[in-house]
Amino acid sequence: MILPSLLLAMFIIGYPIIDLAWTSLQQVSRFGQLRGFNGFDNFAEVFGDPLFYDSLWRTLIWTVAVVGGALLISLPVAMMLNDEFFGRGVARVIIMLPWAISLTMTAVVWRWGLNGRAGLLNASLMDLGIIAEPIEWLATAPLAFTAEILIGILVSVPFTTTIFLGGLSSLPQDAYEAAMVDGAGWWGRFRYITLPLMKPFINIAIVLNVIYVFNSLPIIWVMTEGGPANGTDILVTYLYKLAFRFGQLGKASAISLIMFGVLFAFTILYVILVMRAEKEEGVKEEVSASVEG
Amino acid sequence: MSKVKKTIVYWLLLLPLVVVILFPFGVMFVTAVRPRAELFVYPPRWTFSEFRWDNFVDMWVKTNFGGALINSLYVSVASTALALVLSIPAAYALSRYRFGGKGLYRNFLLVTQMMSPIVLVLGLFRLMVQFGLVNNLNSLVLTYAAFNMAFTIWMLQSYFNTIPRELEEAAWMDGANHFVSMTRIFLPLAVPAMVVTGLFTFINSWNEFVLALTMIRNQDQYTLPVQIFSQVAGRYQVEWHHVMAGTVLATVPVAIVFSWLQRFLIKGMALGAVK
Repeated sequence: MILPSLLLAMFIIGYPIIDLAWTSLQQVSRFGQLRGFNGFDNFAEVFGDPLFYDSLWRTLIWTVAVVGGALLISLPVAMMLNDEFFGRGVARVIIMLPWAISLTMTAVVWRWGLNGRAGLLNASLMDLGIIAEPIEWLATAPLAFTAEILIGILVSVPFTTTIFLGGLSSLPQDAYEAAMVDGAGWWGRFRYITLPLMKPFINIAIVLNVIYVFNSLPIIWVMTEGGPANGTDILVTYLYKLAFRFGQLGKASAISLIMFGVLFAFTILYVILVMRAEKEEGVKEEVSASVEG
Repeated sequence: MSKVKKTIVYWLLLLPLVVVILFPFGVMFVTAVRPRAELFVYPPRWTFSEFRWDNFVDMWVKTNFGGALINSLYVSVASTALALVLSIPAAYALSRYRFGGKGLYRNFLLVTQMMSPIVLVLGLFRLMVQFGLVNNLNSLVLTYAAFNMAFTIWMLQSYFNTIPRELEEAAWMDGANHFVSMTRIFLPLAVPAMVVTGLFTFINSWNEFVLALTMIRNQDQYTLPVQIFSQVAGRYQVEWHHVMAGTVLATVPVAIVFSWLQRFLIKGMALGAVK
């Protein structure tokens, strides 16, 4: 019964991996013809390319900043959404909205919203008297990259909040009641109950987000296409350019393979974390069962 | 803290985030109905002289929005159907039977879930070239189905686990075989789960960009995200009012469905995806 699904996955996901590995060891023409093995020349070329290191460095900044920002915003948001207040349903729908919209569309709209001449962000900031002249947000790399990171955070918040909401709803209420009886304040409850108990969920959110963000092409591609002057390129956009603009297929497949290795490492990390979280949960259940018994 | 006080504090804290989330929606609507002559005014401003609803009609005709819409619908419906047809038996097996290699199969699914299309995009492109499927929407149907399967199998399995076995066992007692118990007893009960899972797959396919950008080179075969991107990228003059009218039409229906669905996702996450 699992065979049909296995076959399709093998065909669509397994085959390209093998093909990439095969290609990365060969000399490839612009048009994708394989011209015989050249050992690890492609990899050597990648590791000798300053643009590769620049993109790698920016990928690191991009991933750490977006994942970190998303976590810092999502935890308090999830805690508020898990509590009762008027309009919670509306707040939940609004917070989840960016998830419903494709990254492409979000990026297209922001590209226009950040337009240096007529962008409505400039309009808003000028109306509020914060700036006097319109700012060209996407014309210089540092500013554009910062804007892209902030948008990356914004679109990662809904998913992260969802994981945290799932975690928060599973926390034992009696622990809080006991802490209140003992006179623990808000910060004490957060520091000594919520945070430790949420740790497995935070770990999972970190790993999953790292995987998604590390791989995310649309925001940067749509807003700046890695420009100006490769100044906002991360690995995925650099890879895409090499493969489909510059026709350097051997080099591109070498980068794909390197990224595949990184992703694989993170996947294994994820499996370990999930297994540990399950074990902890098992322990928790056993403890509560023995207390009740 | 009383509930009223909490409401005020929470909304104040959430306000900056809410504003930033709603900002692009504001940009979208305000630009979509703005007369073309008022796109680039100085100083830039939110207000405009009149609602130009004709923008939507113009956009539809000039940018071949209808064609892209049909392409997107075809790809999303077909890939969702394919993913479900392949996932339902697999999820049923995972939920009901023990078999050798079950753990291995689960881990394999996990790895496919983690592999993003972008890492494989070059390999996938070469694969589709070999099969002559470049510029063919079916290349997207196959790849979307494959990349969504891990998620659909997971979701379905966690819902299938909540359907009591006793119902099927009772049917076997009455002399029904496994096939009959599955099609007559089990599947009707699983319809809601299939609908929810299917809708998520649909939205994922609807929103996908990288593969569509790579596989489809011919303008007539563009899906919506690529069609809208192509109006923005590499053009000296962008008809922003058309672009924004297009994004409104392409995103708002999906956003409404998603808003209704998101509570199932939270439930599904709590049930299974995190485990």
